[in-house]
Amino acid sequence: MLKYTFRRTLAVVPTVILLIVACFFLMRLAPGGPFTSERPLPPAVMENVLERYGLDQPLYVQLWTYMQNIVLHFDFGPSFAQRDRTVNDLIAAGFPVTLTYGFWSAVFVLVMGIPLGLIAALRHNSFWDYVMTGFAIFSQIFPNFVLAPLMVLTFTLALGWLPGGGWNGGQWEYVIMPAVALGTSYLANVARITRSSLLEVMSAPYIRTARAKGLPERTILIRHALKPTLLPVIAYMSPVFVYMITGSVFIDVFFSTGGIGQKFIDAAYTRDYSVILGLAILYSALTFVLNLCVDLAYAAIDPKVRSGMK
Amino acid sequence: MTLLKPALAALVGTTMLTSVAFAANVPEGVTLAEDQTYTYRTLDEFDSLDPQLLEGVDASGLSRDLFEGLYNLGPDGATVPGVATHHDVSDDNLTYTFHLRDTAKWSDGKPVTAGDFVYAWRRAVDPATASPYAWYMELMSLEGAKAIIAGEAGTETLGVTALDDHTLEVKLSQPLPYFADMVAHATTFPAPKWAIEEHGDEWTRPGNLVGNGAYVLTEHVIKERAVRERNPMYWDDENTVLEKVVSLVIGDEASALTRYRAGELDRTDIPAGQYPALKEELPDEAFALPRLCNYYFSFNLASGPEAFQDVRVRKALALAVDRDVIVNQVLKGGQFPAYNFTPAATAGFETPAIDYAEMSQAARDEMAKELLAEAGYGPDGEELAFNYLYNTSEAHKQVAIVATQMWKQKLGVNVTLENQEWKVFLENRGNQNYDMARGAWCGDYNEASTFLDLLTTNSGYNDAKYSNERVDALLAEAKSSHDTGPLYTEVEQIIAADMPVIPIYHYSTNILLKDNVEGWPMENVMQKYYSKDLYKTAE
Repeated sequence: MLKYTFRRTLAVVPTVILLIVACFFLMRLAPGGPFTSERPLPPAVMENVLERYGLDQPLYVQLWTYMQNIVLHFDFGPSFAQRDRTVNDLIAAGFPVTLTYGFWSAVFVLVMGIPLGLIAALRHNSFWDYVMTGFAIFSQIFPNFVLAPLMVLTFTLALGWLPGGGWNGGQWEYVIMPAVALGTSYLANVARITRSSLLEVMSAPYIRTARAKGLPERTILIRHALKPTLLPVIAYMSPVFVYMITGSVFIDVFFSTGGIGQKFIDAAYTRDYSVILGLAILYSALTFVLNLCVDLAYAAIDPKVRSGMK
Repeated sequence: MTLLKPALAALVGTTMLTSVAFAANVPEGVTLAEDQTYTYRTLDEFDSLDPQLLEGVDASGLSRDLFEGLYNLGPDGATVPGVATHHDVSDDNLTYTFHLRDTAKWSDGKPVTAGDFVYAWRRAVDPATASPYAWYMELMSLEGAKAIIAGEAGTETLGVTALDDHTLEVKLSQPLPYFADMVAHATTFPAPKWAIEEHGDEWTRPGNLVGNGAYVLTEHVIKERAVRERNPMYWDDENTVLEKVVSLVIGDEASALTRYRAGELDRTDIPAGQYPALKEELPDEAFALPRLCNYYFSFNLASGPEAFQDVRVRKALALAVDRDVIVNQVLKGGQFPAYNFTPAATAGFETPAIDYAEMSQAARDEMAKELLAEAGYGPDGEELAFNYLYNTSEAHKQVAIVATQMWKQKLGVNVTLENQEWKVFLENRGNQNYDMARGAWCGDYNEASTFLDLLTTNSGYNDAKYSNERVDALLAEAKSSHDTGPLYTEVEQIIAADMPVIPIYHYSTNILLKDNVEGWPMENVMQKYYSKDLYKTAE
């Protein structure tokens, strides 16, 4: 498995380089630059500004310098929109925020979603099954951009229990609404996937065998059915988790969390080249790491996968 | 011209500015609130906290808390003493000598000296600093600024000298009647050389930042909040009331409104179109204040449709726009219908008589039809069709739809609307890659030339590519004139006759401000406020 991990990691390097090169040139294709503004800078001032940020160099030189700085100094360059900050600063400030509410959101999704799905499957076609299905439909028709304002109206304006936004160092009362609003629709999916997966597993021949052996239903569920039931949930959650911890633009903007989801969009609008690139690299690295984790988790659960890795 | 009214400006060689410094002015008998924390919303993160680098309105607001320039702006927008108590002007109007108070201190206890200003001003024009606002120093007519920015001379050639620790001498390349008003701007704030040299690019972080304003930065979370607390070293600290100022970055104005209602904010902006409803709901908290900005449609006179070369076509289009409908039915935020370029609220500016401003809309429509027909377009002539370009935004879209519908119904003109993302829009408009485009301009300082200069031949902001020798000459003359009124009137009248742009409306700022916050400069059309002038009363 170590060898497998190593091989996968190595394969990432060319992917990331390709990504950087593609992003680098795609960004420059968009009209306007970081210093295009409503009041165009006088030519002499513009020259000084471009020179300071190295934007007066030919593109290939800029790209090469950029790559060198990353490899040699782990320096992702200065931000053009927040002039006294670097990309490293911005990510260091914003990523912990999205990581925090994304993590709690994922916990919320799994802790609520899996039991809901299990109950619905075990009480198939009962009242609880309908409640769960109803909830799933509800959360689909109430996407987070509807749910979040409703939550704020209820918990901030009407009840006065929670602040209507902000982050304030990540105190729990600031985390709770972003995490729940972000997670609800995934929660419903996780519950649905768990439900159908367990139903399928429970009708498998080896479960019938276990029942025939006279094992108690509880043992069958925990020892034999749970692991295979969770495989599709893990597959589903892996891209979702990346999305959650890199921040939702809507959650960031609506709750003013200061997370990096919002920065990505802002950077695109302001042509903050180095921030766009830095975030793209971060996203791809996270996607890689999490995908690898999922594959390893799969291997831990499923012996068939494990043998395929050797 | 907020400070030097024409008559005053003529008094050369004398000491200027005798008014007293301004501070929180709490009347007798008012009970102050126990919690003197003022919290407000900003749309976005500050572009920089470095006074010489920052550009944005919000950043410059923060900067006024952390630093203090030679002068500040009083509640009516006129300059009042800051670090400088007063100044003298030489007979030729080219040398200004500022006298600095000896009680001014940096937050680390060092005295604020004339040398700190020299350092900051050189820094602002230094190509190595690469300040996007370096052009402001050039606009101030500082001797040598232009050559230094262009890299042709060293920063030591800048016309600013510390005669001693408390005397700053400034030399101008040409007389500028409103020069003394310009030193209240953030770019001209002093800078702490020792802190910048010690911390480099990180000197603006909390803990590193040394300022000379009424507040010090205690917390700064990018894209979330900036907190500043009272600076005990500030020379006028005893007259400061607010203990703490917090700005929260809230991108979505609707959620900012919710948080205002929940009591989390003391001030926020009113979302477009909601002013009438909020004014009714919160009459003591909703305000529409005049603001120094204009909104106009710009013709492309360089490479636009052939029809635009005919002044009758341009005038017909300008006449047919019913500004009252746009202001009262679409925007609904206390904006002012505009028939000339410079907002009426601009200091020392008298809105000139513009003939079509006095007419009824029916008469304007009639005249528009006639003019268009004369030019050979309209129902009985050639079809007039063009593109209207605006940047993607709901408010711009509504204005565009209403205006183009008016043209369609009244004149039979067919306009295709085209919206583009902001920077794409700027690029296209700046390169005359459009027929007609939206334009807006907010004054950099409170004087008519900040608007009218846009229409000079060489202005980098003249997107219409309008060129009129007389306009250029009049505005050049205004630069050193003590009686600019007649000059500006003539310029506005020429513009109304040539109509290179169609003025639509002049802005207002729509804000919600809690009724226990006092000291807000309602009269200041630049909406530049100082936290040190505010205070909160007990409910």
